[in-house]
Amino acid sequence: MDRWIHPAVFFFVGSLLLPLIKNEKAKKFILLLIPVLGIIDVALMQEGVYGSFNFLNINLIFGRVDKLSLVFAWVFVIMAFLGALYALHVKEDGHHIAGNFYIGSSLGAIFGGDYLTVFIFWEIMAFSSVFLVWFRKEQRSIDAGYRYLLVHVFGGLLFLAGMMLYYYKTGSMIFNRILPDNAGVAEYLILAGFSLNAAVLPLHAWLPDAYPEATVEGAVFMCAFTTKTAVYVLARGFPGFEVLAILGTAMTVYGVFYAVIENDMRRVLAYHIISQVGYMVAGVGIGTELAVNGACAHAFAHILYKALLFMGAGAVLYMTGTAKLTRLGGLYRYMPLTMIFYIVGAISISGFPLFSGFVSKSMIVAAAHEEGRLILMLLMNLAGIGTFLSVGLKVTYFAFFSKDEAPIKATEPPKNMLWAMGLTSALCFIIGVYPNSLYVLLPHNVEYHPYTLSHLSEMLQILSFTGLIFFLLVKKLSPEEKLNLDMDYVYRKGGRAFMFIDDMIIGPIDTWWGNLYNKVALKLLFIKAAIAYAFDRKVIDGVVDGTALSVRMAGFIIRKLQTGRVQAYIGFAVFIIVIVIWFALRMG
Amino acid sequence: MNVLRYIEGLRNNLSALKKVLIVYLIVLVIYDIVIHIGSHGHFFVDKIPGFWTLFGGIGCFILIKVAKGIAHAFLSKDEDFYG
Repeated sequence: MDRWIHPAVFFFVGSLLLPLIKNEKAKKFILLLIPVLGIIDVALMQEGVYGSFNFLNINLIFGRVDKLSLVFAWVFVIMAFLGALYALHVKEDGHHIAGNFYIGSSLGAIFGGDYLTVFIFWEIMAFSSVFLVWFRKEQRSIDAGYRYLLVHVFGGLLFLAGMMLYYYKTGSMIFNRILPDNAGVAEYLILAGFSLNAAVLPLHAWLPDAYPEATVEGAVFMCAFTTKTAVYVLARGFPGFEVLAILGTAMTVYGVFYAVIENDMRRVLAYHIISQVGYMVAGVGIGTELAVNGACAHAFAHILYKALLFMGAGAVLYMTGTAKLTRLGGLYRYMPLTMIFYIVGAISISGFPLFSGFVSKSMIVAAAHEEGRLILMLLMNLAGIGTFLSVGLKVTYFAFFSKDEAPIKATEPPKNMLWAMGLTSALCFIIGVYPNSLYVLLPHNVEYHPYTLSHLSEMLQILSFTGLIFFLLVKKLSPEEKLNLDMDYVYRKGGRAFMFIDDMIIGPIDTWWGNLYNKVALKLLFIKAAIAYAFDRKVIDGVVDGTALSVRMAGFIIRKLQTGRVQAYIGFAVFIIVIVIWFALRMG
Repeated sequence: MNVLRYIEGLRNNLSALKKVLIVYLIVLVIYDIVIHIGSHGHFFVDKIPGFWTLFGGIGCFILIKVAKGIAHAFLSKDEDFYG
């Protein structure tokens, strides 16, 4: 195919058609048609660079199609279909529009060939996905959504600041691989912005804070796209960064540690996103061809089984009204199919032979082994223990068994949810049995065989003896109705202190300043405006064209900062001072 | 429903199930010892037969104890901690 159609177009345009359609069946047809068109589009895509525009002297590239972007595009459109099927019963158009914009912008980000394009889609992702939290329409969700948005805006600003410094340094916006030796402040700011979306420690707390508060259907979308888009940009720009290898491995253990003590099913799963994305980040950090392949393969497998787990937990929440393990139990009698699909997801994530995690996670562990990174490898295997312990055994046992009589009776969820879970389970199994179906999509040509005698023996021993200890210590693992502190403590409590200062000191000054402004400054402003207008017409117009570019760039920041609150201006001033000092140091 | 009957069947024969699983664990360790004969590993973890058995068991034990211990020591708060 010579002509390239951006797959995001289907998601953007298609979802905007939804409010115009009254007929329920037609609406469902459109919802499923959008991702099908996306799949066909990706299937017909040829490698190359498409959609390149010159915009204000910056070369915008909307379609960089190569093996790395294609493997992510494949799993994104497949997931879009499964997610749409799972969410088919949702009545609100707004929910579907938010979901589709979220998917479309994720596709936009992975096909973007320059920082500016990636950044634009990056921001659309944050602002569309937050609605998947808000549509839960509970106070907790609204609060969590605001925190989610603020943290992502902060991450976006890190990315933006890094991008501007990078442009200043190199004169280019092209997004290519960065070598660790060449990386300076600009590159590390970009890396920090990307890492926040990948939930890299210590910028991870937004994830277990927001995802468990999202809608049942929204969480299925959210667990797939944000972190994996971040894994893609890390794999594109930052392979071989040692800091990623270490933080990624730390994430694998950190996530399972919290998962062992958490009570809410979906929060357990959210912490496991941190853990699993940790493998991918570590794979990118190790940086060999096998490791990067492993990161991509694991992202692909992970999207499917994690969505499956969120679908299962979501089905339980949807039918019982709670996802808290302390209030569940005995559901195997009422939701056996949901349980079986959940278990398929659980043994896939744990890395059981014949399921997808076994063929993908092991590539990263093997790469660590090959590079002689013994500690990383042992910690990853320790995280593997925790994965099976918490997702596989703890959640399954306390949600579906543990009590003979279920405290909350339920039935199987709607058919579309069951079909979505069934199809996703089938994919997890197919990838596990025919790993080559996944391996052919990977960016590098590396031989890797997961089904060796020693690897089988290693995984089965780890998993089986984890199971043994679980059943010996099962009483110790009883979930508790508690809240476990995490890094969000810093900004949730810090935010209180900030608000206190705001109310006591800055608030009154703000009011006084506002009154003064209204009385005096506005009058002066009108006079100044009249003079400026005359000056503008005669002098400025001619000069402006040359500076338009820099103004455009600054506009991105300034728009975010124009909040009209004194404290925001103070914060902005501090930020500017830091930047000025930095420039001064560089120049000097 | 068929699925349900299988699950109930397993639950009604828990003691038999336990014996089968114990035999499975023993076979697993023997299998690992057998494949280690004549093989040369990269690290000590590859050389010791049954290493991953110990790693799985001890790792799981430590993980439960440490996680629950830290949670009880200071991480766990009431659910309305943030108000």
